[in-house]
Amino acid sequence: MIDKPIKATPTDLILLLGIGAVGAWLLYQALVTADYHWNWQAIPQYLLRFDKTSDQWVPGLIFQGLLVTLRLSFWATALALIMGVVMGLFRTSCSLYRRMIGSGYVALIRNIPVLVWIFIFYYFIGDRILPAVGIGPATMGENTAASGLLRFVAGEPSRAPAFVSGVLALAIYEGAYITEIIRAGIQSIDRGQWEASAGLGFSRGQQLRYIILPQAFRRILPPLAGQFISTIKDSAIVSVISIQELTFQGTELMAATFLTFEVWLTILVIYFIVCLTCGLLVERFEKRLQQNPQRVS
Amino acid sequence: MKIATRLFRIIFLSALVFSIAGAPGALAADTQDSVVEQVIQSGVLRVGMSTFVPWAMKDKTGKLIGFEIDVATRLAKDMGVKVEFVPTKWSGIIPALLTGKFDVIIGGMGILPSRNLKVNFTDPYDFTGMSMVASKKMADGMMGLEAFNQPGIIIAARLGSTAVTATKKYLPKAEIRMFDDEAQAYQEVLNGRVHAVVGSAPTPAFQAIKNPDKLFLPLQGTFTREPIGFAVRKGDVDTLNYFNNWIGYVTAEGWLKERKAYWFETRDWESQLQ
Repeated sequence: MIDKPIKATPTDLILLLGIGAVGAWLLYQALVTADYHWNWQAIPQYLLRFDKTSDQWVPGLIFQGLLVTLRLSFWATALALIMGVVMGLFRTSCSLYRRMIGSGYVALIRNIPVLVWIFIFYYFIGDRILPAVGIGPATMGENTAASGLLRFVAGEPSRAPAFVSGVLALAIYEGAYITEIIRAGIQSIDRGQWEASAGLGFSRGQQLRYIILPQAFRRILPPLAGQFISTIKDSAIVSVISIQELTFQGTELMAATFLTFEVWLTILVIYFIVCLTCGLLVERFEKRLQQNPQRVS
Repeated sequence: MKIATRLFRIIFLSALVFSIAGAPGALAADTQDSVVEQVIQSGVLRVGMSTFVPWAMKDKTGKLIGFEIDVATRLAKDMGVKVEFVPTKWSGIIPALLTGKFDVIIGGMGILPSRNLKVNFTDPYDFTGMSMVASKKMADGMMGLEAFNQPGIIIAARLGSTAVTATKKYLPKAEIRMFDDEAQAYQEVLNGRVHAVVGSAPTPAFQAIKNPDKLFLPLQGTFTREPIGFAVRKGDVDTLNYFNNWIGYVTAEGWLKERKAYWFETRDWESQLQ
């Protein structure tokens, strides 16, 4: 890898100018000729507002939605990671039984549209399994350890059943993709590594732990980061089951105020910032790993 | 890995058992206790609704306001319980009621025979009508309902609303374009991509007042008259009886009429939104 000095040729300049001009013209067409009464000054109060009764700044509607989105993405990602790792190991396991479970899971989830899956899960699975394990309207008001935990995870207890459904549906969906990432990572490690470690007398568990996974982890990280960002973006889909996350709050706000473009653009910028931050964090983590490979073992 | 497999087996089997055991009870609502009884016991009335100006909307501070909100709040107060609103997407609001996500829909729901096959409606506590607002660019000079009933005319409406039913009935030749939210439908007519929007009064008229350079009203007043009721799950006579009598009670009091006048005939509440 020799860095070549960067030189701009006249062709580059002409190209850049051309692209810039086309972009500017498109923006002009989109914004100016749309003949839309912009009303941006209405937006800030939906982000943060000053509450006169309690005399402090409180999150507005859109920020409340963002908090739910972050909460949802966090738990869904954590669960999806667990599912993905277990299933990924199943997919690369020696036993046919485990391999079949792993492949069955991936085949089932990857071949149904996420929107349909979220609905089916919410109306059928979520309605039967959740009350059976004690997550239902009846247990919401109780002051037990379980409902305390539920409040910690889901925020508002009254919305918890829908929230838990959303988290589970999203986690199972994203888990299928993470499974494939983990499997590809494990299988990308040279066969010689397995043989050499077996020759040194490692058991299969030890081979995975000390030899294979640390190497695979570094290769898995970039696509995994992409999947985390996908999870944040896909969390918008659960707005269809009326979980009050960012997209849901946005559509409700539009229905009430008719500020269609302003609200959509605000939401777009918020998603962009959140996903970009997430991507940059993983990138920093990757750099740290490269400088200090001993960290994962 | 042995442990993992065993654990997986246990979880999988127990999930299977739960889903089989819970299946009959899950889809059929509990009929031992009427909804009113359950509400009194839990101390909370859960009301399903969806944003619909001026029935229900969130103001600047995120608080729900609107005609329906007033009605549901008063109902809960008269029952002696707290009210909890469950904002729900309009397209999925009936399945959500049937699966017990809330106790009653108070959300400006029009009483339709087809809907009534799935849910029970109370007596009407309100009547609304459909009106129409048209785009000056697309439908300039077209007046009256009949002008819009021809091929090539595109009407926007909210998915799953009675506006769609009304459009199909009165404008069978026109093409309908459906949107999840009212705001999207009105945006479409503002952008001049559809000829008109059909929606519950008074929103079309309000939109025309707001955007006089782009929109006009092709017909005066409304072209349908629809009864509006609370929707509850089937097979619960006690709850239906309670709600019906409550509606009779507040109607006789004159309270309903007064609230309706405030939300539908004045614009005093506009400043609370933006």
